[in-house]
Amino acid sequence: MIPPFDYIIPETLEEACNILWEAGKDVGVIAGGTDRVIGLRNGDHSPRLLIDITRIPELRKIEEQDGRILIGAAVTHSEIASSPLLKKYGRVLSDAAYEIGSPQIRNLGTIGGNIVNASPAADSLPPLMVLNAVGKIVSREGAREVPLDQLFKGPYETNLKPHEILVHIGFEKLSSVMRSSFVRLARREAMAIARMSMAVVLRIEKSTNLIEDIRISPGAVMPRPQRMSEVEELLKRKSPDEAILKTASQKVSGVMVRTSGVRSSTSYKAPVVEALFLRAMRSCLEDRG
Amino acid sequence: MEVTLKFILNGKPIEVKVPPHWTLLRLLREKLGLTGTKEGCGIGECGACTVLVDGIPLHSCLLLAPKIEGKSVETVEGLGGRDSLHALQKSFVDHGAVQCGFCTPGILMSAKALLDGNLHPSKEEVKEAISGHLCRCTGYQQIIEAIEAINKDVRE
Ligand SMILES: Cc1cc2nc3c(=O)[nH]c(=O)nc-3n(C[C@H](O)[C@H](O)[C@H](O)COP(=O)(O)OP(=O)(O)OC[C@H]3O[C@@H](n4cnc5c(N)ncnc54)[C@H](O)[C@@H]3O)c2cc1C
Ligand code: FES
Ligand code: FES
Repeated sequence: MIPPFDYIIPETLEEACNILWEAGKDVGVIAGGTDRVIGLRNGDHSPRLLIDITRIPELRKIEEQDGRILIGAAVTHSEIASSPLLKKYGRVLSDAAYEIGSPQIRNLGTIGGNIVNASPAADSLPPLMVLNAVGKIVSREGAREVPLDQLFKGPYETNLKPHEILVHIGFEKLSSVMRSSFVRLARREAMAIARMSMAVVLRIEKSTNLIEDIRISPGAVMPRPQRMSEVEELLKRKSPDEAILKTASQKVSGVMVRTSGVRSSTSYKAPVVEALFLRAMRSCLEDRG
Repeated sequence: MEVTLKFILNGKPIEVKVPPHWTLLRLLREKLGLTGTKEGCGIGECGACTVLVDGIPLHSCLLLAPKIEGKSVETVEGLGGRDSLHALQKSFVDHGAVQCGFCTPGILMSAKALLDGNLHPSKEEVKEAISGHLCRCTGYQQIIEAIEAINKDVRE
């Protein structure tokens, strides 16, 4: 059973910030509620008051601004999956949004909720890492911009303060010479969340056939979302042949084991993360046309 | 504390008082007497509680009631009644797509949303539209056929 609380749906960001500031303790933000309501049911938290941020206009739009794409925190996964702007300039994210849960979950769950909930298996996080996404966070105290890779402290833990609201996420548009790919282990046969994934952005210089830009971020294998910079360094300015991909894939599993430690699941996860990495890289390479 | 909600329910404007921690599912079943919408898992996994909000399929078990203020909600009761079956309901009966019937109201709503937006969905689109529903009985084949039959009817 869900314990009782009060509920406010502010129409403006200012109003929401003021309520959060003045209400003090035991107050929470709710977006779609797909994580929150389950937490309430389980008794994980029992707020006195919930602030619903889904009717604040700034949080509801996807727009293009000075070469960047801004996505409001309360935009749903369905809206991201079907956005022509994102298909063109941030495909790795819209592909991931399409893989989330079921149609009903995508219609209700938001990108902001996915980020702030900070599950190690959240599907939008690896794409946002390889897009170098930056979050805009506001409160009564002011606004701050935080690169998303600095937002996460650990599983289900961010450094967002209780009175802060994530307003939008922004990233530089991927140009047409950039290739990107998101691959996930099981394509939604099961709706369970624990699934490994891999997001990659790749740019190869046509004249030299060398890797000029490479960004790699796995999902559900490390305690918090992050890039694999060691593997990226290894691949930079190399020609993307099978031998180097193989070496890089072993490094991917090596980094995974080092960051998350050896566990009972490691012997299963290592070959899987290697295969996901190779699939993502090959899909980028084939896409070069 | 209760809040007063105004919204459209199956085409008719209504006003109702509800505690804000109730889900839409609980409001429908316990206060409005609409028990066609089912509670299966209660955690967004099975789809039995699916209703349309502004035409979009959502899990009413995860939707807090205050969220529907000013919106339009459609449940299976709005689709058709015993003597006035909706084409989808009739097709489900004709194709043996209903066995125990527990999953049926939810699936009907997802199918309605699909057909409202796309008169000629492909088999893949039909499968995708019902991918958030669990059915223990039919193995889905009859359900897919029942939905596909509708778009054929329209075409002919
Ligand atoms: C059946 C099921 C299947 C699922 N499958 C997947 C899946 O395949 N992949 C996946 O990644 N996830 C999955 N999820 C998890 C969930 O749907 C997503 O994480 C979703 O994006 C959460 O968004 P929400 O709007 O529902 O968040 P909410 O539940 O509303 O909020 C989540 C948390 O974020 C905080 N929050 C939300 N928005 C803001 C904001 N703007 N500012 C500050 N704080 C905020 C809330 O306070 C809360 O702590 C699944 C969930 C269910 C129930
Ligand atoms: S009862 Fe809502 S999804 Fe199962
Ligand atoms: S008919 Fe029994 S669950 Fe679908």
